[in-house]
Amino acid sequence: MSATDLELTDLYWLMDMLQSIDVGLIVVDRGYQVQIWNGFMANHSGIRPDRVIGRNLFAAFPDLPREWFSRKAESVFLLKSRAFTTWEQRPYLFRFKNYRPITGPAEFMYQNITFIPLVSADGAINHVGVIIYDVTDTAVGKLELEAANRQLEALSRTDRLTELNNRGYWEECLRQELLRVRRTNRPSTLIMLDIDHFKKVNDTYGHQAGDEVIRQTAATLRRSIRATDVAGRYGGEEFGITLVDTRADDAMVLAERLRRRIEALEVAYDGQTIRYTISLGIAESCEGITDHAQWLERSDQALYRSKQGGRNRATIFQE
Amino acid sequence: MTTRILICDDSSFARKQMARALPADWAVDITFAANGEEGLAAIRSGKGEILFLDLNMPVLDGYQVLRRLASQDLQTKVIVVSGDMQPEAHKRVMALGALAFMQKPIDPAALAGVLDRHGLRGTGAAAERAFDVQVDARDCYQEIANVAMGRAADLLARLLDAFVIMPIPVVNMLEPTELHMALDHVDGRQAAVGVCQGFIGSGIAGEALLILNEASLPDIADLMRFKGELNDGAQVELLMDIASTLIGACLKGVADQLDIKFSQGHPQVLGRHIKMGELVRRNAARWRKTLAIEMACEIRDRNVNCSLLLLFTEDSIAPLNELVSYLND
Repeated sequence: MSATDLELTDLYWLMDMLQSIDVGLIVVDRGYQVQIWNGFMANHSGIRPDRVIGRNLFAAFPDLPREWFSRKAESVFLLKSRAFTTWEQRPYLFRFKNYRPITGPAEFMYQNITFIPLVSADGAINHVGVIIYDVTDTAVGKLELEAANRQLEALSRTDRLTELNNRGYWEECLRQELLRVRRTNRPSTLIMLDIDHFKKVNDTYGHQAGDEVIRQTAATLRRSIRATDVAGRYGGEEFGITLVDTRADDAMVLAERLRRRIEALEVAYDGQTIRYTISLGIAESCEGITDHAQWLERSDQALYRSKQGGRNRATIFQE
Repeated sequence: MTTRILICDDSSFARKQMARALPADWAVDITFAANGEEGLAAIRSGKGEILFLDLNMPVLDGYQVLRRLASQDLQTKVIVVSGDMQPEAHKRVMALGALAFMQKPIDPAALAGVLDRHGLRGTGAAAERAFDVQVDARDCYQEIANVAMGRAADLLARLLDAFVIMPIPVVNMLEPTELHMALDHVDGRQAAVGVCQGFIGSGIAGEALLILNEASLPDIADLMRFKGELNDGAQVELLMDIASTLIGACLKGVADQLDIKFSQGHPQVLGRHIKMGELVRRNAARWRKTLAIEMACEIRDRNVNCSLLLLFTEDSIAPLNELVSYLND
């Protein structure tokens, strides 16, 4: 239906439609005098049309972001094209109550706003229409989903038994660290460590005792490293530590301290005392390493040497 | 010649409205009764040539009064004035001997028409009339809800072609914990489904909450002549149909009586993904008190139970009282 087909009687129901539609409709002229203020706006603002029509919008609503609003509207007048804003950039234009004030999950109504140029009979743009959509449910849904995802992400980074980083996340950190090393040319060192004769612990004391040994190793490890070091559980009884900005010799100091602490550790389980040791392999980053798997490989080789050399010791990787 | 009028209604607000609707040029002597028992006593003592009778009352309701009048051969002309406007209610009271059946809120012009049609209005001299009915806000809310629910029930009765039984609405100020308990009770009792819809207008904001016993759905499907499998989609469809009818009519009934208009938000289905009690727990910190009007309704001879809660925000109470005071003065 084009505008010229409209009879005067049609205007009646058309106005009824504009009044009762469940989105906010405002029309302002170039001087920001309000021309239309529909039922949605009246009901949510608590201000009747006869109190606002003909008045300057900013005088009627001093809390409106005047500068922002006029910048938007001026561009619509000038460019004769629409302008949009979403709740993500600006949660609301008018601070209205949530439509469900008792059970609704948000304190106020999130709004998407569209500014549209309105063409007059002479073809000029003398009015701008502002449409206000209530998007509270969408916004809250999205915010809640993001929060849930953040929680899930945190959950999936953590190894359940030890509460250290899990293998996936720790390896990702190692990869990032290698990138950093190559950019800054400042070396870092990787320590891989393994519980000696862990199978024997399991066989002698049972799997739950084995779990306790793993937990205590992790706890000792956490107490021994610095805040910038990144530790993770790599496999069953295998752990990795990335020592940021650290040379192999300095890493050796930490490795030795850790080895001695574990050696001295007595794990009490079910009335028995379990004593055990660890072996460690140390590899400093160097130019030959192009991906983190190679770095892991080098510290694994050093760890193998420690095992070969009689266990309960730390070895630095040598070419 | 003064006509002895008896107005029998449990709502002081409705009694006052009724007394004020009587033609001004009619010489009357008005007696008030707050329930059927009091009404019958007043008739026995000769105070009721004409009885304006409400149906929905405690102690003895309007139907029971009509039966006692017949069985005890008490002479009075009865005009029923009812919030319940279902066709069957109309039929029943006429069969029990009422002269006329009128809708609440009583319209003076319609009343004059009914009185004239039955030749009840004598050509008495204009009388100075004094009556003193104290009306409190709670009573007004209750009566407004009663009338609104009457309209909603009438629509539901037509939609389902069944008779809707509606008790007197209950008005309370609730704190979050109390509302939570009320809703948890609904959760715990039986599987419940519901629809929640916000409304706002003229400084009054709130939510309408329709809660339906899930076991009601097969009966509703049957009443609506629904064919096919009653799967999840169909259940939501039925629930929304009932909710639109009841919430829409009830809110319009309230708004019409207050002479305002509400915007209504999009309804949300509850109970399937959200527990009712959870609704309140999530943001109980944001409000302290709500004005709650609870309207129950059931369908006669069917396993259909639902309750409609109108919850008004605390800051709606002042504007609400102001609007109600226009009706009262």
